Amino acid sequence: MIKNYLKVALKVLARRKFFTFISLFGISITLLVLMVMAAIFDHSLAPHSPETRSDRTLGIYQMVMQGKDNRQNTDPGYYFLDRYARPLTKLKGVERFSIVSTPETVVSYLGGKKIESQMRRADGELWRIVEPEFIEGGPFTSEDESGARFVAVINETTRSRFFNGNPALGKTIEVDGQRFRVVGVMRDVPTMRFSSAADVWVPISTAKSKLYREQWMGGFNGLILARDEDYFPAIKAELDARLRDAERNLPDPKTYQKLAAGADTLFEAYVRKFSPGDTDVIHTGRAKAVLFLLMLLFMLLPTLNLVNINLSRILDRASEIGVRKAFGASSRTLVGQFVVENLVLTLIGSLAGLVLASLVLAALNASGFLPYARLALNYRVFLYGLAMAVFFGILSGVYPAWRMSKLHPVQALRGRSV
Amino acid sequence: MMRHLLKLVWNRKRTNALIILEIFFSFLVVFLVATLGFYFWDNYRQPLGYSWQNVWKITVDMKSEGGRNDGDAAKTARLQLVDRMLGEIEALEPIESAAVAMVSPYDQGGWTSGMQVDGKEVEMEANAATDSFAEVMGMEVVSGRWFQETDGALAYDPIVIDQDLARTLYGDADPVGRQFGEPDPEEKPRRIVGVVREFRKSGELSARTNFMFERLRLDVPYWFEPRSILVKVRPGTPVEFEEELTKLLQGVAPEWSFRIKPLAQERTSVFSEMLAPLVAGGIVAFFLLLMVALGLFGVLWQNLLQRTRELGLRRAAGASRVAVHRQVISEQAILTSFGVLLGMILVIQIPVLDLVGFIRPEVFAGGLVFAMAAIYLLSTLCAFYPSTMASRVQPAEALRYE
Repeated sequence: MIKNYLKVALKVLARRKFFTFISLFGISITLLVLMVMAAIFDHSLAPHSPETRSDRTLGIYQMVMQGKDNRQNTDPGYYFLDRYARPLTKLKGVERFSIVSTPETVVSYLGGKKIESQMRRADGELWRIVEPEFIEGGPFTSEDESGARFVAVINETTRSRFFNGNPALGKTIEVDGQRFRVVGVMRDVPTMRFSSAADVWVPISTAKSKLYREQWMGGFNGLILARDEDYFPAIKAELDARLRDAERNLPDPKTYQKLAAGADTLFEAYVRKFSPGDTDVIHTGRAKAVLFLLMLLFMLLPTLNLVNINLSRILDRASEIGVRKAFGASSRTLVGQFVVENLVLTLIGSLAGLVLASLVLAALNASGFLPYARLALNYRVFLYGLAMAVFFGILSGVYPAWRMSKLHPVQALRGRSV
Repeated sequence: MMRHLLKLVWNRKRTNALIILEIFFSFLVVFLVATLGFYFWDNYRQPLGYSWQNVWKITVDMKSEGGRNDGDAAKTARLQLVDRMLGEIEALEPIESAAVAMVSPYDQGGWTSGMQVDGKEVEMEANAATDSFAEVMGMEVVSGRWFQETDGALAYDPIVIDQDLARTLYGDADPVGRQFGEPDPEEKPRRIVGVVREFRKSGELSARTNFMFERLRLDVPYWFEPRSILVKVRPGTPVEFEEELTKLLQGVAPEWSFRIKPLAQERTSVFSEMLAPLVAGGIVAFFLLLMVALGLFGVLWQNLLQRTRELGLRRAAGASRVAVHRQVISEQAILTSFGVLLGMILVIQIPVLDLVGFIRPEVFAGGLVFAMAAIYLLSTLCAFYPSTMASRVQPAEALRYE
């Protein structure tokens, strides 16, 4: 039966080429936009090299210090993370803990040329949570951190900027007036991955000023690697308990009395970033609902367009429907047939959309608008696209099919309009 | 005639309702993108209040933030270091003038403040800057004066406001010499000493805001620490000078970090960041509209094919080709008008209910007119070819059609 439907569907599509073209155009553009968005989300949130373990990593990315009249909302400081978050490693299921600075733009001058790099400082543990691909050498270690050795890991782009792409191992780079020996060169990481992207990595202890060791707020992130995500609730609860403890020891209790921070997954971190008003609870469910609603809103116009086209296509086939009805086909069968036809159409359209999406993503990568992005279609994006195509096909097929099945056989045979 | 057309539209209400709905949503899409575009364009035409040419920004990272309060002595020491830097910078040959400010033009973040005036909250952006800031930024003082060295001895804290804030607070009256804000018995009174042209810290594409300057002193610690040194360089100063300048600053404060960037570059990145949503939205909207146009075209064509007999009958009864043409186009115009009307009823709520306060009603009007024109043009274009085809039908052929 389905085979017959498919045959009819393809025949109908081939018969009215112009209509088929405008339907396919709309479908492919719609799916193109949805898949590009999905690819960007996937690129930012899903486990990707080097953050292959991001699905079992939590990060402390933001902190709020609150007083009666004042409120500070930035990243946590080193002192706080070291004193109150590091003990989380004693918890069952916590494998690693690392402190990483947020990126800062540093400038180097090389033979009259100005080079701007994003520099981050980290301890040796970071490299046991994220696993970058090294082209040369390897990461620096915890001994480098405790010994304050001036060593650096740079990325491929930085190597080409400083050394014209020649091997850099053992050579020296000067950034922000400090000199570091290169011990490793890693592949570029897209800047959207905010726990592993930087041009230059150096040990925290090489910082010019040691003041960071006393600071509660600003400049650092904490990363917690759990055995698996089942341990997340326990880790979050423990961090909360530690925050209450920290509140009793705040450095400036006259101005600030309350402290809020959370151990977040990447998605939670984004939600927190975009709703700075919420401190204690982050509404991931609400954020998902909003995203879904936005998607529906975007699909509304293409759907209406396709419904309109389908309706007029169906009018064209009134006599066929009349014959089928006269020979006893039920309304349900007819609805089924037309929904299948529409699904065939949307699937063909979304395949075209897939091809277009890969072109657009390649162009986005080449444009450098999202630094170091390597946006690509993968099976997750593909599955999402497929689901969207089916959803879209049913959404835009059901109403015209229902209208058509309501045609009176006699009128339909005469070829009268709906 | 009109009644007749409306009746024709009504007779096909179910099909037409969907077309109206489609036009309604297309209208909203065009309106949103057009309003955003007009918003930026409108902002771009407003006065900026300073000139960014040949100004370099030096971001000073003192590594001293962090939720601690390390006391006035430490703060004063840091300020003295900044003061020393300023002196050494000013002595350099390629530098015309230099100033320190809490916030630099084109900075992302900022400092906002509020004030109660006649029971109404007046929002403003604020900055604190040293005496040479107006000279570095090429600002025009409209009334009164900018800060000067002798201001330290005054019994009050001098304030400079921009024309937007002056108008908001005092209308056409001259604000110079007036008290600024309610006096606080614990603090020095504040008095306005000058008015500068409308100042927009966030650049050409941002909305106009009220702006207020405090005088930044490098000898008294304050609740914030300055983060930017702005220098006006002679035209044609090479990039190599950046390196020289950085070395000098690092010599003065080895524990701090410095980043030099011409404001022209900051401006470019602010522009591209603000315009990115417009460009992305514009591209998506363009393709959505193209899709709608093609769809409408197809649907109209198909619908007219269905009505061959009706139109043929009209021709047979003596209606001219032009009359048939006009009928089809008018019917389409009626559908479009319904869609646009629905859209307008919805959209007009935004300025009426003041939902987005920072966008001026004129900008909304611009977006509305543009969206209307675009949608009418689009739907007429879509109707034109099918209607030409329909009016060409020979009466004899049409009547025979089955």
